[in-house]
Amino acid sequence: MRNQRFATLAATLVMFVSVYGLAGDVRIIANPSVRADAISAEEIKSIFLQERNSLRDGTHVEPVLSKGGPAHAAFLKDYLSQNDDALQNYYRTLVFTGKGSMPKALRSDEEVVGYVARTRGAIGYVSSTVTLDGVKTLTVYRAENDGTRRLIARVEPLYPVILRSNHIGGSVRLKVTIAWNGTVEDVEVLGGNPILGEAAMVAVKQWVYAPGRSRTIAEVSVPFDASR
Amino acid sequence: MCRRTVLLLSICLCAARLSLQAQEFKLFDRQVQIHGFASQGFVHTNDNNWLTMNTSHIGSGEFTDFGANASVQISDKFRVGAQIYDRNLGQLGGWHPSLDWGFADYRFKPWFGVRGGKVKTTLGLYTDTQDLDFLHPFVLLPQSIYPTDIRDATIAHTGGDVYGALPLQRRLGNLSYTVYAGHRSDSIYSGIAYVASQYKFYYSSYGGLQYGVDLRWNTPLKGLLIGASRMNEDLTAKAKFINPFNPGGGFIPDAEHSKADWTNQFYGEWKAGKLQIDSEYRRFVHDQVDEVAGSTILEAQVDMRGWYVSGAYRIFKKLTLGSYYSRYTLTRATAGPLAPLFPDQTDTSLPSNHIYDKVIAARIDLNKFWNAKIEGHFMDGYGNSTYPDGFYAQVNPQGFKTNTNALVVKTSVNF
Repeated sequence: MRNQRFATLAATLVMFVSVYGLAGDVRIIANPSVRADAISAEEIKSIFLQERNSLRDGTHVEPVLSKGGPAHAAFLKDYLSQNDDALQNYYRTLVFTGKGSMPKALRSDEEVVGYVARTRGAIGYVSSTVTLDGVKTLTVYRAENDGTRRLIARVEPLYPVILRSNHIGGSVRLKVTIAWNGTVEDVEVLGGNPILGEAAMVAVKQWVYAPGRSRTIAEVSVPFDASR
Repeated sequence: MCRRTVLLLSICLCAARLSLQAQEFKLFDRQVQIHGFASQGFVHTNDNNWLTMNTSHIGSGEFTDFGANASVQISDKFRVGAQIYDRNLGQLGGWHPSLDWGFADYRFKPWFGVRGGKVKTTLGLYTDTQDLDFLHPFVLLPQSIYPTDIRDATIAHTGGDVYGALPLQRRLGNLSYTVYAGHRSDSIYSGIAYVASQYKFYYSSYGGLQYGVDLRWNTPLKGLLIGASRMNEDLTAKAKFINPFNPGGGFIPDAEHSKADWTNQFYGEWKAGKLQIDSEYRRFVHDQVDEVAGSTILEAQVDMRGWYVSGAYRIFKKLTLGSYYSRYTLTRATAGPLAPLFPDQTDTSLPSNHIYDKVIAARIDLNKFWNAKIEGHFMDGYGNSTYPDGFYAQVNPQGFKTNTNALVVKTSVNF
């Protein structure tokens, strides 16, 4: 009886922390035709600002926007560092000088998921609570020092069974210190569910990056998709 | 004319409303986007008539423009598009539509792309967007840098651009570049032709080689952009004129060229949340020679300098307040038989050699596609009536007064 009460309390606490920690979290999703599993925050910015229309591996990508909502607001703040009016003006500048086109903008996360699922090369963003069907979730990393470091060996985290069975998922943000030779020196949880964070840390410590000129600090987002 | 303006605006508003739902269609399995804009303004001044309109007394509504474009992404890297533009600004434009831009663009890499056709010229912060009223908090951009009566001089070139953006190492931001060369072709309905007509000079063509470079650095400091542009020009013009010393002799063909015109422009922009601050400096040197039957009749070197500082703050979601101070000076040295008609002007403290403009403005965004603006201009000086800088002798036959206050109102739609 005591154990049962404790388990119920723990599950409730986990659920609370999960929902609280994920409020405003954004997941970057892509059509399965996109080969990459990870993408840098700088790449996301340049794709959505139409400075580039392909990833480093040459895959063509098409940005898809939401018309509003918490995921849209969080995406603009976290990735583009501007508000919606400034972004719309930016797109209008491109459109009326011939240097770009108005990207697809959809009303809801569900519409974004549907469009990304059926459109080759589409890349979009949704809130972390949305069910994902037919799309892949991209891991996002941020370089803080001398440019991005290419991930060459990735170990997937073990999804704690109790959380998966309770459909508790979302993204965990980690601060990763990468040595010059590509090994992960240190990992620190910045946000997300703490239990998922522990699992992500164990996995990320085994990742290997391409060697660089110096130590690099990167911010990495590791998704846990409860719907899969 | 007024009825025509109202009719045009009504059509544009209807088109805009319809197009909001149907601005894309498929052609040969490619998505074609259609966009457009239209604006209508009104200007009232207390004394001098401004921008070729009869703005004093009850004011003038001859301040209309519109544009429409179509573009299509042919492949991952290749896109084509074109835009038409038409305007009526007092005596300028005169409802003669023109190809605003129309080009093919191939982007090999983010750091290297090429465009060919009629391309908007990259010069300073807003040369390529100066007609796009809905992008700016002000009706009139600072006229010291963006004189609307001679927009043709810098708006576009027929030729090509090489462009790209390079991320800089060690978090130093990124650097964008544009290198261009092409042919500038001015409308004969622009301010340059209009100002010359007061001397019975009538242009049949005006333009020439234009080439330059623009470099802009998105600095690591959030929201701060700084840049510099350089443009060189080699212009020729054909005209006919009546010799003021022999008016009965009929029209005489005239050939004009500028040996080495150049423009330097330096600029900075800082955006922080709802605040935007811009500043630019431009110097333009025009080196003109007029010839009749191989003999020089006039040499003129004109040196124009302008700068401004502007600020705009979005005080509420739908209301933005802004202000700028714009300063423009002009000096001129002349030689040749016609020089007595155009005496040297070197003292920029005279109102005939400067325009200092203080502006306050408000912009209301009625919805995402429709805005209205109102602004007040408080100008000291009227510039040189022999050069197109807003104040023209033809619409001010009574002469110029030193100060001009102007009320400008404008509304625009885009889709």
